[in-house]
Amino acid sequence: MGCPPDQADETLKNTVGQCASLLLKAARPRWAFRAFPISHQEGGIGLSGGLLLPGKDISSHLEGCDQVVLFCATLSAQVDQLIRQAESRDMLQALCLDCCATAAVEQLCDQVEEYIHGQYPNCYFPFRYSPGYGDLPLSVQGSLLSLLDAPRKLGLCSSSSYILTPRKSVTALIGVSSTPVSSSKRSCVSCPAGDHCQYRKAGGHCGSA
Amino acid sequence: MDLRELLASDQPILLDGAMGTMLQAKGLPTGATPELVALEHPQWLLDIHKAYLDAGSHIVYTNTFGANREKLCHCGATVEEVVHAAVTLAKQAVQGRGLVALDIGPIGQLLQPTGTLEFEEAVEIFAQVVRAGAAAGADLAVIETMTDLQEARAALLAVKENSDLPVMVTMTYEATGRTFLGCRPACAALTLEGMGADAIGINCSLGPREMPPLVEELLAWTTLPLVLKPNAGLPHPDGSGYDITPEEFARSLASCAQLGVQVFGGCCGTTPEYIELLRQALAQTQVKHVVRQVPPAVCSATKVVPIDRVRVIGERINPTGKKRMKEALRHGDVDYMLGQALEQVDAGADILDVNVGLPDIEEGKMMVAAVKAIQGVTDAPLQLDSTDPEVLAKALRIYCGKAIVNSVNGEDATSCRIFPLVKKYGASVVGLTLDERGIPQSAQQRVDIARHILAKAQEYGIQKKNVYIDCLTLTVSAEPTGAVQTLTALKQVKEELGLKTVLGVSNISFGLPARGLVNQNFLTMAMAAGLDLPIINPNLDAMMAAVRCFHLLTTVDKNAVDFIAAYGNATVSTSITSSTSTVISAQSSDIRTLEEAVQAGLKAEAAAATKTLLEQCEPMEIVNEKLIPALDRVGNDFEQNKVFLPQLIQSAGAAQAAFDVIRQHMSGSGQTQVHRGTIVVATVKGDIHDIGKNIVKVLLENYGYTVIDLGRDVDPQKVVEAVRQHQAPLVGLSALMTTTVKSMEETIAQLRNAGLPCKVMVGGAVLTPEYAQQIGADFYAKDAKDSADIAKRVFAQ
Repeated sequence: MGCPPDQADETLKNTVGQCASLLLKAARPRWAFRAFPISHQEGGIGLSGGLLLPGKDISSHLEGCDQVVLFCATLSAQVDQLIRQAESRDMLQALCLDCCATAAVEQLCDQVEEYIHGQYPNCYFPFRYSPGYGDLPLSVQGSLLSLLDAPRKLGLCSSSSYILTPRKSVTALIGVSSTPVSSSKRSCVSCPAGDHCQYRKAGGHCGSA
Repeated sequence: MDLRELLASDQPILLDGAMGTMLQAKGLPTGATPELVALEHPQWLLDIHKAYLDAGSHIVYTNTFGANREKLCHCGATVEEVVHAAVTLAKQAVQGRGLVALDIGPIGQLLQPTGTLEFEEAVEIFAQVVRAGAAAGADLAVIETMTDLQEARAALLAVKENSDLPVMVTMTYEATGRTFLGCRPACAALTLEGMGADAIGINCSLGPREMPPLVEELLAWTTLPLVLKPNAGLPHPDGSGYDITPEEFARSLASCAQLGVQVFGGCCGTTPEYIELLRQALAQTQVKHVVRQVPPAVCSATKVVPIDRVRVIGERINPTGKKRMKEALRHGDVDYMLGQALEQVDAGADILDVNVGLPDIEEGKMMVAAVKAIQGVTDAPLQLDSTDPEVLAKALRIYCGKAIVNSVNGEDATSCRIFPLVKKYGASVVGLTLDERGIPQSAQQRVDIARHILAKAQEYGIQKKNVYIDCLTLTVSAEPTGAVQTLTALKQVKEELGLKTVLGVSNISFGLPARGLVNQNFLTMAMAAGLDLPIINPNLDAMMAAVRCFHLLTTVDKNAVDFIAAYGNATVSTSITSSTSTVISAQSSDIRTLEEAVQAGLKAEAAAATKTLLEQCEPMEIVNEKLIPALDRVGNDFEQNKVFLPQLIQSAGAAQAAFDVIRQHMSGSGQTQVHRGTIVVATVKGDIHDIGKNIVKVLLENYGYTVIDLGRDVDPQKVVEAVRQHQAPLVGLSALMTTTVKSMEETIAQLRNAGLPCKVMVGGAVLTPEYAQQIGADFYAKDAKDSADIAKRVFAQ
């Protein structure tokens, strides 16, 4: 919400707390994953089923990896409804809910990522990578979701302009390598927020690593 | 034999098992489009269909689950080619041994409001599949694996409007008993039976063991034959298959015949072996005949409201006698309606009446916008209220659930246009006891009209339980005996005709003092006479109290649970103060000024301070000298990182409260409203992230601008029309995604091509000042405060 923690007053903290519990009550977090052997090709990364993930950035990101775990996660349509409702009642609450939901879906992804890491002992992983990062286009969303059977299994779809619906949802790729990888930490250089990042604009960073 | 005859036979009907599982076993590669198998490997489909027929299937599903234009758009084959090939192969395999069901699965994109797909587009996508399937000779249609009741409705309408095929509809539920989108079996049952499905049920997601509780719920809410096509149990966590053996699947599923289920099959993970064993298990059992009685009820996609007690219909979304609502309708301000909707639901309304009829607006369009928006934020069922059959048709089409239509009357000329709609969309209908001769004086004449309305409704196939009668409230000051006649008629309609009753209560007290008292007591008398559905203002404590007391005293509210929940901590005043002078509270020293209240973001204080100021100052003086400067100060602090977005929004909220007081004052004294100029805002086509746009809107409104909010995912043409219609000098466009900035560019281009003299400001996460310039915008707004500054500059010119 752009407000530094030390400058939030008690009322705001309480509102955020209430929103967080409303959100937890409404959310029905769901996720799915699937591993694919990959091949490094001319135009990008080929998944074993035939899908090509185009771009230079994904290729260099997955350097040294011989497979990739594709996953998606969603907080469910009930969260969208909760936020819509709040927008008609109280914009501050809506903003808090929206921000809480964004944080929650990231946390969900962290947990999924941790679970996936646990499935591959003694392996190394570059940070999780999503369509929209670098030159990996958003237009692969639909294909990724259908590889996971996500519309049927999770109720997670991509709109005609490649927006994930329900809104608080993520698709991501985790490379798996048997040797140490260079891109294990996320950095501002490869972040899709790039120049528009409000943390960067304010001279700091988001702290995600 | 067709499906309807099979269903009428009361014998168990066997469907087939999984298609996807079988195709994978045949060697379909991961990521391939399964529907293309009909063109590329026809023999596979012949083999699979034959294997199921050999196992005993009476009906096989065609391999067309995803054969819609959205899913096939990248694979070089048309819907017609794929559907024709798949149906032809199934017919070739069947050779008179069974029926061919045209399989229709979800489109693969979510409909509005969660997604961006328009309802009518969904209907058209399904219609294309249906036309192709019917032309190729399918015997029936099945709509399956639906999680969104609205999408199931779209598919069912497509089947009904484009073929004569019998149709089964199955939805997929989670173990919680709801679909991913929150739909309950009861809602699906009421809605889909109402719209003319031949059989309904459940497929996919769960295994046979999870079926019984869901079946029980369906049995309570539909008289249609039930279909179960579950998975082979629950999937193993590692994705290696499902947890139930063919033997257990067959035993467990066949036992559901004892619950009254008639149609059986298998979904993911099931094979001909499962179906063969299922056939054997069913051969040893009978479909139990269960007597089913579905109570009168209405529903939304996620909530059923049975009319088994007094159910309150909220009357506030109606412009009659409401200046603010009229203003909102003229400006297309759907948000105001949403606020009214939520307030009434919070106050205890079970159902919301929606009436948007004003002579100078396009009622049909507004009705559709209102219904879509309201059902997006609340689960209360709606009563669609209009005198125009065309408006009702549009509203019923977009409404997801079982609605109430308000209304028909004893005049056949109007009812013959409305009853077919009520039937087609499976709604309930309110019949007013008046006819071409007007409202009869006597109770008996009104009962006669009610009887006539019921008979007519039944001629159109509308069930008795779906006809509600309104015996009409007459103003007691004009018609002293009116109340008695109304109550007598109500009682007779209830007892003699056995119909549910509706009544608009507040009319009773026009022209009287202490209207609240009259309304409350008339409501109590009406409930005692048998009123089921009072149409009232639920925001008035006294009215809801009357309903809660009635439930308490008639033991509907067992152990006073609801009553205590509502009034356990309440102080109730029963005194009536008779006075003509207004009490002015003494101004204490710690009262905040309006500026302070706005800066601190305190709504109640801001409103109170405004009231006080209005006693001494002109409204515009308050706006220009107090309110706007206070907002400016907060804005400046925001720019300098002294306060942050949450405080900015809170201050805007406080300013809003102040503005509301000023508006009320001005409309009370007949003055022209505060109006600093009109701004059209929209989140562009394809984009559904609208919180940023909404924050901008709140801020702009509180600077006194009239904001025409077109919502999200807005077509460029709609922006052009709105700018032209409202002659707005400024447009604000928002986009969050790189992919949707293109529609922003397109929108600006269309505004320019239309020769409209407006300025355009743009904002959103991916935009930069350079990008804004590149796509032809006049201004880049980096945040909400910035957009208010831009507005100030534009309107100063």
